[in-house]
Amino acid sequence: MLWLALKTLFHERGRLIITLTGIIFSTVLTLAQVSMYLGKMGNATGVIRHIDADIWIMSKNVQNFDFANPFPEERISKVRAIPDVVWADRLILTWGFLKLAAGGQEQVQIIGFNPDTGVGAPWTMISGQPSDVKGGRYMIMDRTSEKRLGQLLPGSVWELNQVQFKLAGISEGTRSFTTAPVIFMGYNQAHRFMTAIVREDQTTYIVAKLRDPAKTGETIRALQAVMKDNDILSKRDFIKKTVLYWTVQTGIGMGFFLTALLGLIVGGAIVGQTVYANTMEHLREFGTLKALGARNSDLYKVIFSQVGISAVAGFSVGSLFVLLLRSGIEKAGVALYLHPLLFVALFFIVLSTCFLSAYFSVRKIRTLDPVTVFRA
Amino acid sequence: MSDMAPILKAIEVGKVYGEGDNSIVAVDSITLGLSKGEILVIMGPSGSGKTTLLSIMGCILHPTRGEVIIDNRRISGLSEDELPDIRKKYFGFVFQAFNLFPSLTAIENVELVLRLKKTPKALIRPKAAELLEKVGLGRRTVFYPSDLSGGEKQRVAFARALAGDPPILLADEPTANLDSKTGMEVLRLLREMAEKDNKAVVIVSHDPKAEALAHRVVFIEDGRLRS
Repeated sequence: MLWLALKTLFHERGRLIITLTGIIFSTVLTLAQVSMYLGKMGNATGVIRHIDADIWIMSKNVQNFDFANPFPEERISKVRAIPDVVWADRLILTWGFLKLAAGGQEQVQIIGFNPDTGVGAPWTMISGQPSDVKGGRYMIMDRTSEKRLGQLLPGSVWELNQVQFKLAGISEGTRSFTTAPVIFMGYNQAHRFMTAIVREDQTTYIVAKLRDPAKTGETIRALQAVMKDNDILSKRDFIKKTVLYWTVQTGIGMGFFLTALLGLIVGGAIVGQTVYANTMEHLREFGTLKALGARNSDLYKVIFSQVGISAVAGFSVGSLFVLLLRSGIEKAGVALYLHPLLFVALFFIVLSTCFLSAYFSVRKIRTLDPVTVFRA
Repeated sequence: MSDMAPILKAIEVGKVYGEGDNSIVAVDSITLGLSKGEILVIMGPSGSGKTTLLSIMGCILHPTRGEVIIDNRRISGLSEDELPDIRKKYFGFVFQAFNLFPSLTAIENVELVLRLKKTPKALIRPKAAELLEKVGLGRRTVFYPSDLSGGEKQRVAFARALAGDPPILLADEPTANLDSKTGMEVLRLLREMAEKDNKAVVIVSHDPKAEALAHRVVFIEDGRLRS
């Protein structure tokens, strides 16, 4: 029956093109939306994911990584006192204004990390080393922010909140959810930007690595008992909290979800409509097949083969289209998360949508009276 | 001429559409037998129940009452799932509107039935070509139905009906869409099939030419056989 499905499908090229257009549209829209959403969530959780810590300690009611609140940094001693903690370090997340060479200024996200341990440092460097920020007013900027900040030249001097910093290195792939450029510097230097508004002995995060990650829950409970004014989360829970905040509380996730769903619905409707119109137009042929001894299952095979082939072809073209557009989209500052697993998952979603859209055709076939073949 | 033992028997078959006051009796208690090599022509006015009777005989339509027996096998009791195999094994159909697949060439239309009948792959193409040769279309095998004349289309339909060598051919108004000369040729072809290949042939027709070549003619009116 695959033979007949192919023959019929390619005989009617106009209808095939309409079907493929629907699937390509659906694939591009859904893939773009989902990969953009995942890219944004990747940006929002990038620092959390790349720090090899099991536990994150933060001020009470911090909703996501970008909106940190200060708390006394001496609490790190309570963390280090737990026997299962291998190491604990502080991390500052704050904000500043970077003066641009072309005039004006840009708000930037500042991450202050310990250059001796490298905990919280950028994970990919294309120039210099994270430890290069040690011992003075040095900073690392990310190549993805070059478009907004201007050319990043190692050794160039920038003014951040009226304090001059030398560019010691350039990182790659660090973006914030808010799209503000990310700047890394030594913990002590970052402190000056935070203490402009809070007390000197404050920090925003303490991160800790455990000897046995299986004891994360137990350690969190022990810490919570002595640090009642802090939230203590596992790495996984902090990622989840950050993702949920941006997805649910801001409605951003719903926006992406609805657009992706719209893509699937419109694509599915186009496929369903063309497949159904095709079935209606070929009812006599389906009836003839029944009269000639074909079973309903044989006829379903024809319809599902056609839908399946269209879905594979449409999804492939749509995916290729997104891959071709990828660098252009990313140059515009939008991160796309295009993991092979995403393609696999979306393929099955698109395929299921196409199969689902063939439901009315299958129902029509099931109830088709082969006597229709005798009508002139 | 014909073997005496009927290959197909319709016993007291009837078909009623609808229920109660709105019911319509399409076929009313008809008994017919058909033997191998025999050509039976069913004639009657439009709406008399000819096609319904043909559908019942071809196991396409379940009768409301009565029995259909093919090759000594009672068909009426079979489930919907079992009927496709019966149709595949015993029947070849020829339709008034040819019912060829426009996306398939002449030879592919014939191959379709051979594929449905699970003919070994290597035999499909030669067998289909042989059947088209038999109906005089050996040189038109790769033509699509849209490129064939009405008579040629009906010949392809004959070749398709013969594919898989069914013992019974059912033809519904096979000459209705053809001119007189082509219609005559088609009918001669049917007779040749019945006689040479010992097929049982049922033709539903208005065409007096069909009557001329039949071994037996029955008239049907208001769903009943006219004596």
